[in-house]
Amino acid sequence: MNEALALELKDIVKKRRRKTIGPINLQIPQGYIVALVGTNGSGKSTILHMLTRSLIPDEGEIKWFGEKSAGDLPQEIRSKMAYVSENPVAEENYQTAEQAASFRAHWYPSWDQKKFERLMTHFEVPRNERLSRMSKGERRKFEVAAALATSPKLLILDELSSGLDPFVWKDMLEELQESMMGEDVTIIMATHIVEEVKRLADYIVLVHQGKVLGMVEKDLLYGSCYEAWVAGDLGEWKGRPELIRCDEDGPSMHKLIVRNEAFISELQQSKDLQVKRTRALELEEVLELWIQGYAPEYK
Amino acid sequence: MWIPIQINENSAEPLYFQIETQLRSLIVSGQIEEGTLLPSIREFASSLKCSVITVRRVYQDLENEGLLLTKQGTGTFVARVGHSERSEYRRMVVQEAVEAAVDAGLSVQYSEEELKALFLEIIKNKYRSQAGEGS
Repeated sequence: MNEALALELKDIVKKRRRKTIGPINLQIPQGYIVALVGTNGSGKSTILHMLTRSLIPDEGEIKWFGEKSAGDLPQEIRSKMAYVSENPVAEENYQTAEQAASFRAHWYPSWDQKKFERLMTHFEVPRNERLSRMSKGERRKFEVAAALATSPKLLILDELSSGLDPFVWKDMLEELQESMMGEDVTIIMATHIVEEVKRLADYIVLVHQGKVLGMVEKDLLYGSCYEAWVAGDLGEWKGRPELIRCDEDGPSMHKLIVRNEAFISELQQSKDLQVKRTRALELEEVLELWIQGYAPEYK
Repeated sequence: MWIPIQINENSAEPLYFQIETQLRSLIVSGQIEEGTLLPSIREFASSLKCSVITVRRVYQDLENEGLLLTKQGTGTFVARVGHSERSEYRRMVVQEAVEAAVDAGLSVQYSEEELKALFLEIIKNKYRSQAGEGS
């Protein structure tokens, strides 16, 4: 399918003091929710900073909605983007939620004051409190309300759930889904909450040690790897490429991790082996294997 | 609109296949009526916790089969399912189930006679209990 791209990263490299991020090549099509997942320090936030242009890459090229930009992002592109950073910016600390909102409304022609008011009420955020005096969760809720009020075409979220209680978190996911009903909205979110990925993401981008290991459709990862307990002598089965891991688990019993469901049926049909139990691996287990170098196979 | 589809993450069948099979049977069996407006792709994906890519694929497949109709700007509707298609579908569902039962019999070396006897006994019990509930 030939889809319009919200973002395109080409050979992006950013040298940090302790490590180098990149080279990264990535294409994010419009209208999807893309989750960046990876361990702490894998480079997710750095990638997001480059997307918001608060960091300039040392090498390579980024295109926003098909356009590249040499210096600051032009206002036309900036006004289509909203960003909720992991830690709130200090400049707004001494403003109340209302003051900060009216300031932001200046920069966004598409600012929807009604939506902002509705979300602030819904999330129960105090309006006349200085932002610096709010709890972490309240501040977070303000940030998300203000981001959604800009009716963004591209929403960038860095650890959405940090500081939120589970009830508000659920509300917030629903608001995000609501904002996606317009079909051309794109969300790119860094997260390490698997449930967030399960509920929201269309695509998963796995980031590890500053590199992008791949971008896959989330649904293809279900049932891509299995765990199986097998009794009997494994013999030459051990050499099969589908076999990722094989641990002894009691006398003549092995716990296997395998790719590809067809391999399990092969084991089941073998006369020397007994397959006692099988289980499809959870999303987080599949991602963990991927980080260890076992990229999923797709059906 | 809520559509009763149950996803089994442990199943070897891909997600799109599970959703497609269940939605098809809901339509063909008449549980979702002709003309019903289905949820938007994003809405359906959210409620099933799957991706829009999967739902789009299901809608496209069923549209190609003639079960769904997409009107630009309004959404995806359930198309008219013909009488012959419906009875053909019912037969297919039952046939598959019976075949699976016979396979189970073969796998434990049940004889043809034993299987027939058991089958008739089950039919007797089930249909009688259903008739009992009805009265």
